[in-house]
Amino acid sequence: MISAIYNLALTTGANRVVRGARIEHVCGDPHLGPEKDYAFGMRIVRTALEAICTPVHEPTLFDPLEHAVPLEVSHAS
Amino acid sequence: MRLEVGTFPVQHVSFGSQTRYEDGHLQVNKAALLAAVCRDPRIASADLELAFPGESVRIWPVRDVIEPRIKVEGAGVVYPGACGRPITTVGEGRTHRLAGMGIVEVSRVNWHDAGGDFVEICLDMTGHWSEMIPQSKLINLCLVVEPDPGLGNEAQNDAVHKAALVVNDHVAAATRHLTPPQREVFALHEADPSLPKVIYIWCVHSPQAMSGSPTAFCTMTYGLTQLTPPWFLHPNEILDGALSGPYRTAFAMSWTIVNNPVLLDLYRRHGIDWQFVGVIALRTEWTTQHEKQLMANQTAKLAKLLGAQGAIVTWDAGGNEFIEVVRTIQACEQLGIKTVFLTSEDDATEAAPTMLEPLPEANAIVSTSFFKSKTLEIPDLPPVERVIGLQQKAIGPLRDQFVPTAGSLPPPPRYDDHYGFGSLSCIEY
Repeated sequence: MISAIYNLALTTGANRVVRGARIEHVCGDPHLGPEKDYAFGMRIVRTALEAICTPVHEPTLFDPLEHAVPLEVSHAS
Repeated sequence: MRLEVGTFPVQHVSFGSQTRYEDGHLQVNKAALLAAVCRDPRIASADLELAFPGESVRIWPVRDVIEPRIKVEGAGVVYPGACGRPITTVGEGRTHRLAGMGIVEVSRVNWHDAGGDFVEICLDMTGHWSEMIPQSKLINLCLVVEPDPGLGNEAQNDAVHKAALVVNDHVAAATRHLTPPQREVFALHEADPSLPKVIYIWCVHSPQAMSGSPTAFCTMTYGLTQLTPPWFLHPNEILDGALSGPYRTAFAMSWTIVNNPVLLDLYRRHGIDWQFVGVIALRTEWTTQHEKQLMANQTAKLAKLLGAQGAIVTWDAGGNEFIEVVRTIQACEQLGIKTVFLTSEDDATEAAPTMLEPLPEANAIVSTSFFKSKTLEIPDLPPVERVIGLQQKAIGPLRDQFVPTAGSLPPPPRYDDHYGFGSLSCIEY
């Protein structure tokens, strides 16, 4: 679960919680401009994908800013 | 800070050739008052109508109900900061109020442009909905007002609320040179130090995050609605309207703020049952976990520094705002402040709790019932003989169907008795 209010997600028992940006823009930040917003969003989503692949034993927080996720950008063509 | 509140009970209101108060009868010069309202070039149309308790009347849509007040001695004006009024600190001197009547702001102007949060409040003057809403028991002077449709939403909000405050100033001025039939002095005089110190933590919604504007219209603190750190207010400031303006329920209005029974009971029992410390007004709807927790920590710290041993917490919103509210309770309890939470409850769908984040520290909760009209199974409102305001109302999830407002209507979706005005009771079986 990606959530800006991540503590609530943890206390209600979500297994894998990814820290989102803000309630009004959970998966990015429009104030960063289009390119950095995209990169930030990509980082959050990649952290979520990494979280799905990580075994957990209790509600666990994954923070995109603390996870070293490769930041390469892939363009579908 | 010493404030004398002079009360002028209103038993009857009529339109007449001058605006004056005598022996419980308020006469209002409608033409002069409408001329004053229309002096603002932003106002496109305005009318005044009266609604009495027991009449077959529905008022729709209701944005705010204001208790007529005026400052007759001391600095500043009532409802300070609202719509550009002076922001001089209030709470001292003498204020007059007209009790038993309300000024109802009736307009199609919505709170903001950002979607959702439509004005959904109606007042019935008779029937079951009227029995559930305190303002339905008032004699209501209704200002039906529409602004220039070419204005932006915030200017429209400012124009119609300012118009309602023009009505307030005009009506309440009738008492300026009169001797109040009832007087009450409010002061936080020195009290028996062995009495426990109690603070009121009053959470108010900010529309900033959802509207995207720090100046969107809502309940104001000296005119401000933006997300700001907690404010410490003397209760006299609130009695002078330093906190005023509506949010989206009948219980979050200018009238309910100055008549809030939690505030008045805490104040009247100061020096008897406790020492009332004052009010922390906490803005809610911060949008990260960190911000919410920071506000909770700082509110509790402020309460502790002010010596509070006990706290009462109320709020006027719903959804994610619960987090900073309940975390404030948790932070207070962790600092040794015994905290009571007065709140309405969500429906108990399946196994979900009726509160978003139940925390063990929130162990003293007074419920004022469910907040959804649907959960409360409030029946549809009966047809009425007369509607003050709009004759049609949009309904349905897409708001694309229109029904006559004089006919039978579903009740407004939210009840939310934030401050315990309610007349509902509950039977366990």
